[in-house]
Amino acid sequence: MEIDEHIGCAMSGLTADARTLVEHGRVETQNHRFSYNEPMSVESTTQALCDLALRFGEGDEESMSRPFGVSLLIAGHDDNGPCLYHTDPSGTFWQCNAKAIGSGSEGADTALQEHYDLNMTLEEAETLALSTLKQVMEEKVTSSNVDIAKVAPTYHLYTPQEVEAVIQRL
Amino acid sequence: MLDLRVLEPCSLQSSLAACADSQVLGTAPPTFKLPAVADLDGFQKAAVQMVKPAKGTTTLAFVFKHGVIVAADSRASMGNYISSQTVKKILEINRYLLGTMAGGAADCQFWQRNLGTRCRLHELANKRRISVAGASKLLANTLYSYRGMGLSMGTMIAGWDESGPGLYYVDSEGGRVEGKRFSVGSGSTYAYGVLDTGFRFDMTVDEAVELARRAIYHATFRDGASGGVASVYYVGPQGFKKMSGDDVGELHYKYYPVPEATVEAEMEDVTTS
Repeated sequence: MEIDEHIGCAMSGLTADARTLVEHGRVETQNHRFSYNEPMSVESTTQALCDLALRFGEGDEESMSRPFGVSLLIAGHDDNGPCLYHTDPSGTFWQCNAKAIGSGSEGADTALQEHYDLNMTLEEAETLALSTLKQVMEEKVTSSNVDIAKVAPTYHLYTPQEVEAVIQRL
Repeated sequence: MLDLRVLEPCSLQSSLAACADSQVLGTAPPTFKLPAVADLDGFQKAAVQMVKPAKGTTTLAFVFKHGVIVAADSRASMGNYISSQTVKKILEINRYLLGTMAGGAADCQFWQRNLGTRCRLHELANKRRISVAGASKLLANTLYSYRGMGLSMGTMIAGWDESGPGLYYVDSEGGRVEGKRFSVGSGSTYAYGVLDTGFRFDMTVDEAVELARRAIYHATFRDGASGGVASVYYVGPQGFKKMSGDDVGELHYKYYPVPEATVEAEMEDVTTS
């Protein structure tokens, strides 16, 4: 989902919880643009989301009864170039170059470790993403059961035709 | 002078952040603390009087076959004093929505920027651009909730959405009207004269830009509170584009050049005497 023009995110877990986090992220980024007339940095956005995720337990009236049951991959492009952050329900976040989350994440992480290279081209990256998914997905990869989005340098969700083009190259 | 010590400093950032969520997720308009003054009515009247002098302006907008044209002058005057000749009176809310400024400059700038934020949030949540009707309604509802509190704005919201060109006039009384031609400000009567005479729905973009430029020029010529630079913007399917920004003094000599003969005769008189 898109959080702002320069930040997108992928979710795994209770996706309904993710929508609340994304909405909060959108409000934070727009308020930042309003107050400072600049796009919010990816790290600050991730920090804002994790601050929300931490507010559970019996602290005061503002806390939630349970933590957000969702992990996010926040992908964005700011003054420091492209970057990727991984968050989890505990409210911790890590910066990564490559990460997989979800049920098939262990296999996918291993595959990424073998084939990932910081200097690859966009096309090689697209192919790597889909081929990694193919390894851990039980069904066949088609343009209707897979979504790809890139932030280069603005967020773009691929149309089914664009996804099909990548599938052809696998 | 107003006794400002009585006022509690209003923490804008905290109240804005606090109501950001309800502003987006619910329908509550943003709220600020009321000034803690003994005589609220008197204070408000005085506040409105302080803002009022900056109202001299000419802005206009009209819809035609190819889109919307928005034009304005750039003078700010306080009584007989011209405080600025370079005020930006056409505000870019986003790439395809423009707003004009008339009345309180701070009110217009802040609330139109706020409108831009809310339009973007609408876009993110609904995956499509907000319509001009929707954007102007958002602004009108906000202004209505501040009715009677001294805001002073007479703004036109112009843009292009899925149903084509849109133009609305929204003011600080909370009023909102749709229309095809508007002019707002002290120079509006002069601008209307030129605009209504020369308007044809099927003009080309260049003809429409020239009509708007002339209308602003004529208003600045006769109205003392308007002047500076005549800016003209065009809003089409691709978004807005600034078409021209001409100093009205230079426009005067362009439209009504001084004939050469008269000048030479005067100089001859001087040398013989």
